[in-house]
Amino acid sequence: MRTACMAKSPIPIFASWCQSWQVAGDRQRIQCLFLVLVVQLYPASSAPEIIRPRGVSISKASLYDPEKEFKCFDGSRTLPFSMVNDDYCDCPDASDEPGTSACPAGLFHCTNAGHLPLNIPSSRVNDGICDCCDGTDEYASSAGCENTCLEQGRSARAAALRRAELSKQGNELRLQLIRQGKQQKADKKIRLEQLQRDREEAARIKQEKESLKSTAEDLEKAALEKYRQAAEEERAKHSSTAQEEQEAFEQFQRLDSDHDGFIRISDLQTRQTFDKDKNGEVSEEEARYFMEHDELDWSTFYAEAWPKMKPYIMMEKGLFTPPSTPHPSIDVPGENAEEFPADNGEDEEEEEEDNAETTDVPDVEGEASEVTEEPPQYDENTQNLIEEARKARTEFEEADRSLRDVDREIRDIEDGLGKDFGEEEEFATLQGQCFEFTDREYTYRMCPFDQVTQTPKNGGASTRLGSWGRWSGNPKYSTMLFENGQGCWNGPQRTATVNLVCGLENKLTSASEPNRCEYLFEFSTPAVCLADSSDDNHHDEL
Amino acid sequence: MASHRDMRFSKLALAAFCCLLVSNVVSVDRNNFRTCDQTSFCRRCRGVQPGSSPYQLNLDSLQTTASSVSAEVVNSALNVKFVFQLYSLADNTFRMKINEQSPLKPRHEVNFVLNGEPNYVRLEVTEKTSEKAVVKSGDNKVEIFANPFRVDVYRGPELLISTNARGLMRFEHLRTKPAPKPENPEGEEQAATQEPAANVDDTENDPGSWEENYKSHHDSKPNGPSAVALDFTFPGAEQAYGVPLHADFFALRNTKGIDPYRLFNLDVFEYELENGMSLYGAIPVLYAHGLKQSAGVFWLNTAETWIDIAKPDGENVVSSIVNLVSGSGQEPQVDAHFMSESGIMDVFFFLGPKPLDVFRQYSSLTGTAPLPPLFSLGYHQCRWNYNDEDDVRNVALGFDEHDIPMDVMWLDIEHTDGKKYFTWDPIKFAHPTEMINNLTAMGRKLVVIVDPHIKRDGQYFLHQDAEANGYYVKNKDGNDYEGWCWPGSVSYLDFFNPVVRDYYASRYLLSNFAGSTLDMHIWNDMNEPSVFNGPEVTMLKDNIHYGGLEHRDVHNMYGFMQHMSTFEGMLKRSEGKLRPFILTRSFFAGSQRYSAMWTGDNLADWGHMRMSVPMCLTMAVSGYSFCGADIGGFFKYPDAELFARWYQLGAFLPFYRAHSIIESKRREPWLYNPETTDIVRQAIRRRYNYLSLWYTLFYEHSRFSTPVILPLYALYPKDKDVFAVDNEFLVGDVLLVHPVTTSQASEVQVLFPGENERWYEIETFQMFRGRSTVSVPVDMSKIPVYQRGGTIVPRLERVRRSTALMHSDPYTLVVALDDNGFAKGTLYIDDGESYKYKSNEYLYIQFEFSNKTLKAKFIDKKAHFASKAWIERVVILGLNKKLTSDPVVKSKSVGEQTLKSSSDDGFNVVVVRKPGVSVTEEWTLTFSF
Repeated sequence: MRTACMAKSPIPIFASWCQSWQVAGDRQRIQCLFLVLVVQLYPASSAPEIIRPRGVSISKASLYDPEKEFKCFDGSRTLPFSMVNDDYCDCPDASDEPGTSACPAGLFHCTNAGHLPLNIPSSRVNDGICDCCDGTDEYASSAGCENTCLEQGRSARAAALRRAELSKQGNELRLQLIRQGKQQKADKKIRLEQLQRDREEAARIKQEKESLKSTAEDLEKAALEKYRQAAEEERAKHSSTAQEEQEAFEQFQRLDSDHDGFIRISDLQTRQTFDKDKNGEVSEEEARYFMEHDELDWSTFYAEAWPKMKPYIMMEKGLFTPPSTPHPSIDVPGENAEEFPADNGEDEEEEEEDNAETTDVPDVEGEASEVTEEPPQYDENTQNLIEEARKARTEFEEADRSLRDVDREIRDIEDGLGKDFGEEEEFATLQGQCFEFTDREYTYRMCPFDQVTQTPKNGGASTRLGSWGRWSGNPKYSTMLFENGQGCWNGPQRTATVNLVCGLENKLTSASEPNRCEYLFEFSTPAVCLADSSDDNHHDEL
Repeated sequence: MASHRDMRFSKLALAAFCCLLVSNVVSVDRNNFRTCDQTSFCRRCRGVQPGSSPYQLNLDSLQTTASSVSAEVVNSALNVKFVFQLYSLADNTFRMKINEQSPLKPRHEVNFVLNGEPNYVRLEVTEKTSEKAVVKSGDNKVEIFANPFRVDVYRGPELLISTNARGLMRFEHLRTKPAPKPENPEGEEQAATQEPAANVDDTENDPGSWEENYKSHHDSKPNGPSAVALDFTFPGAEQAYGVPLHADFFALRNTKGIDPYRLFNLDVFEYELENGMSLYGAIPVLYAHGLKQSAGVFWLNTAETWIDIAKPDGENVVSSIVNLVSGSGQEPQVDAHFMSESGIMDVFFFLGPKPLDVFRQYSSLTGTAPLPPLFSLGYHQCRWNYNDEDDVRNVALGFDEHDIPMDVMWLDIEHTDGKKYFTWDPIKFAHPTEMINNLTAMGRKLVVIVDPHIKRDGQYFLHQDAEANGYYVKNKDGNDYEGWCWPGSVSYLDFFNPVVRDYYASRYLLSNFAGSTLDMHIWNDMNEPSVFNGPEVTMLKDNIHYGGLEHRDVHNMYGFMQHMSTFEGMLKRSEGKLRPFILTRSFFAGSQRYSAMWTGDNLADWGHMRMSVPMCLTMAVSGYSFCGADIGGFFKYPDAELFARWYQLGAFLPFYRAHSIIESKRREPWLYNPETTDIVRQAIRRRYNYLSLWYTLFYEHSRFSTPVILPLYALYPKDKDVFAVDNEFLVGDVLLVHPVTTSQASEVQVLFPGENERWYEIETFQMFRGRSTVSVPVDMSKIPVYQRGGTIVPRLERVRRSTALMHSDPYTLVVALDDNGFAKGTLYIDDGESYKYKSNEYLYIQFEFSNKTLKAKFIDKKAHFASKAWIERVVILGLNKKLTSDPVVKSKSVGEQTLKSSSDDGFNVVVVRKPGVSVTEEWTLTFSF
């Protein structure tokens, strides 16, 4: 094949290339050698008509005509063709030296027959390193490059095939995900419409019950009027209890941020008052100290939570000082004290725990009054009115609760519908799932659209690396960004970036921290497998 | 690597390994470092009042040998006797030693620092009266005055240096500790606060003489007071320079009212600028320069040293001793007062007369830096820390992807297995040899850190060996000294023990350092030594080294002893064939023979970037040219502008390495924005354009002692206005560099020195004339750099991925003509890595343009080197005459050829196309105009 090619080649044309520069013997030899190599590059089957100088791509070959003078691409100069590839940079745009290292800004084109063509900076020509798989960049060095293009091309094509197959299979899964996602969305919309209708009915019932309650209570109130004087006297006796209850109720209302009659963990977490360890945030554990249930209604609140909370509220108001424990002066003479204080982001948690243990729940002055109130005696009519009113209240509360339940569900669905699950809802099914990856030291947990955490393998508290932020890739849906994670000690808030790659299953495949407090994950999912993502830019010039 | 201040150990982490973080303290806590007033010997020495000195020389005792005189000196107040010796040395140098005649125990004399025994020359006593003796050596003269003792050093008729002219000499003889006096404590306190009477020996009364506390640390001072102090006056001098390392201006400041400059090697956290606080290294050499002459003194003492400087302070001219001596009018004068805690007085006087002479006189004593391997002059990429082998590979690949040259990847302490040096993290760096070979495949190298502290871990071979064989520095009670450093509990190898040095050197052998290869080089850090829980973050002064040596006596050369051993080991590793590259943080005079240094843990701010120039200039004139600063700043995070400007500046300082602390965001050159990447690429490529200039300058430094970078006054010693300039500097005598060191700069004021000197901008070739100051516009891509008229600089225009890949590349010669149409330059070429140049395998070429001909000829005819490199282009600047015919090149390989050339209209820039001659031959290029 090569013999045939060489036979076809107009060798005499190249002879002139070997002239006109006066350099020590071995470069001249090289120059001529490269001409032979150029010739060898043309397979007989596709030998083009135009001969290309070294380092020129087919698309630019016509700009190099050995029969004519050479014009720099930028038009700045015209040179005899003998000055093309003569190892001296004449054109400011490097166009006269496509095949040598003479121009600092030049590019060398390797054909890489059998694999992908490549443009490399001219500075990589003859630097002793094989950059082109066909070895053409090292025509005058001692690198001894072998042509590995066929081999590389074969494995590249095999890899491309594997990728294409993966993409194809993945895309089928993706289409399923899209169907599921769209179905979820449609279901939610239908449910939302239903809820909106339910809400009207619930609101109507609530209003009705409210009015009934109001009537019953008016009657009750009138009937009770005669007992009021006595009751007030009684209350005066136990004013402290009343005040206590009043204070508790006010607190209850303050904490009940959505005024639905229930206090939840999250309500406590927004209040610095309950930051027992003073670390700036109220952890769930801290909140749980005050409430054993997920929700507290008023009576449970008053009976269980209030006694625990009161000292902290008083402390906050400055009414109460915990018994002081003598602690050593911080200014220990000498510098030892400063040398090794355990002060390190990694053991913050430990310190928090220490602090928590030493902060005893304080005794409160004037604890719950021992006075118990005796229920007053009412006549039968009054009793009945009271009973009516109580019933009306109960019914109203039920109606009110129903409405709130509907509202809550509407809110949840609207939240979900507001999230960006991709152009075709392909990421919707990831919502509510979590994925883990474990390395040498940590287990990482990534919950799409929610948060990313890191937990030391040898135990210890989790660190939140970020909460769902936004799609931040290019293209958009290739990268998830989780922001506003826990602050780094003396540094920024943590962030986590999750790069999505095509894979047949949803899986967290790697975790790293390339910058301090900036985490990077790779997540494989069929949701990003596009059928047309197969390697279609693989084309062979020849 | 970082200093420890406010870096804290975590209780948790310590259990397994040590983990560190930096607090938000903004800069150095001065309270952690002693002032002169908190240092008993400095307080005593500084308290000596000028005027009458109790020291007298007994002229009757004068004895003479061929190259020395000696005599007895007496402290007349205490009747303590000393031996005075004066030697004459080659190259206009004298040496004076003063020691106790019969000390209670031998006082420490410094070893290893001088580069062999000095070259003594003849002197003779030409005159002896009752007042003085006169000693002559060539044109130089020393007058030794008897009462009070004073030594005046002359070059020809000029008095250059006068010793003890102000009578500040103080030599605290060793004595036995007085029995404790039954005084009440109040009385003692009174004594401590009393101002001592002038020049009366107050030593006994100083509460710090026999023991001293600083913070919680106790110094037992078993030898009691032992300070030596002496003053030197330089009549006619305007400025003083030297005594590095300080983060201060190039011209030393008057220390009246502030602390003296301090030399006591310390690891200082986030050091402050513009003061004389101690830093990592110490070179007690001081230069004084005036319009008439330059002179210098080298105070060879490795103990803690403080230096007071008095100099003309604007209108406030200090009382001149010349006025006293010669009665002439008001002359400027510099006074220096050296105060050391122990040792002897061992002083060298350098008589110049020019700045470059003085630098050479100092350099020839302590040795010039050997020719470094070529790669070390390329660009170095460092970070604390590259996380693992993948990280190293990817960063190196990033340089290729962004087409930015890079020669060396660096690994800080995290590469080790639990901070055990000479080991690798078994997971993150499990295949070190493969990692190194990946780098080598692109012509690159690896540098890893090896600190002198040894983790006290029973499983660690180094600790086992050191503990079993007594290789550690001992505390005052004779037990192994234990301190804290990166690994937690550590001990420190005693490099003063020759057995330890041998042992340590052997650790670097390929057979001992598993995973290493000949392409891996070494970084010795934390070698002040840094001791996190020690006084001032270093070792106790009453620690004991080999041979009973007290740490107090040798503190400033602990780091020196480490890298001396490292150098020995690295040399042995290649069986003496390859040049080692070592970077050290701590150093002493003479360290330049073994390692490069850098300015330690600087900050990412404009001030620290600016300060890298005076710091490296001071190092360069102090015999230590291979200096750089962490590009980008170690602590904090530079913004894109500072980052880019720093790369531009760093390319023109001898050691070019980016480094950052572990907390800082990643800063590889492509991580800011495309514009910044472009600027950084351009800056680094410029470094490689001038690679052969750097290499030639380092070669010439090794041979002729000329500093690689120079302050302006070195070349323009008569221009008073450049004496204190440190916002610009010279590379060799070739390039003038004026870095941009302020934010948002649109122009800088460039001072072009030299009457009738021409300066050609290196990119546009625009010509500027000295002596002038010109406002030069600077956009972000611009750093003003100029080639001096009269020089020829070889440039490498084909910048490759690393220096190793450029060895056969052709040169462009930039011939910058002076007013006489003359220029010359040199080019040194060898294999870049071995010692074969010592057996004449190199080329040392001189280029000279005169009489219309550019000639290349070999300076060393015997030297040969097989190189494929050739001359691809000659650029003639400032010809300004029309060429009447094409230039003609003539050599053995090309014969006689007419070449094409091109030029601008005014023939300011003439480019000769492709002479094609080889660097291995002599040639001529002839012009007609």
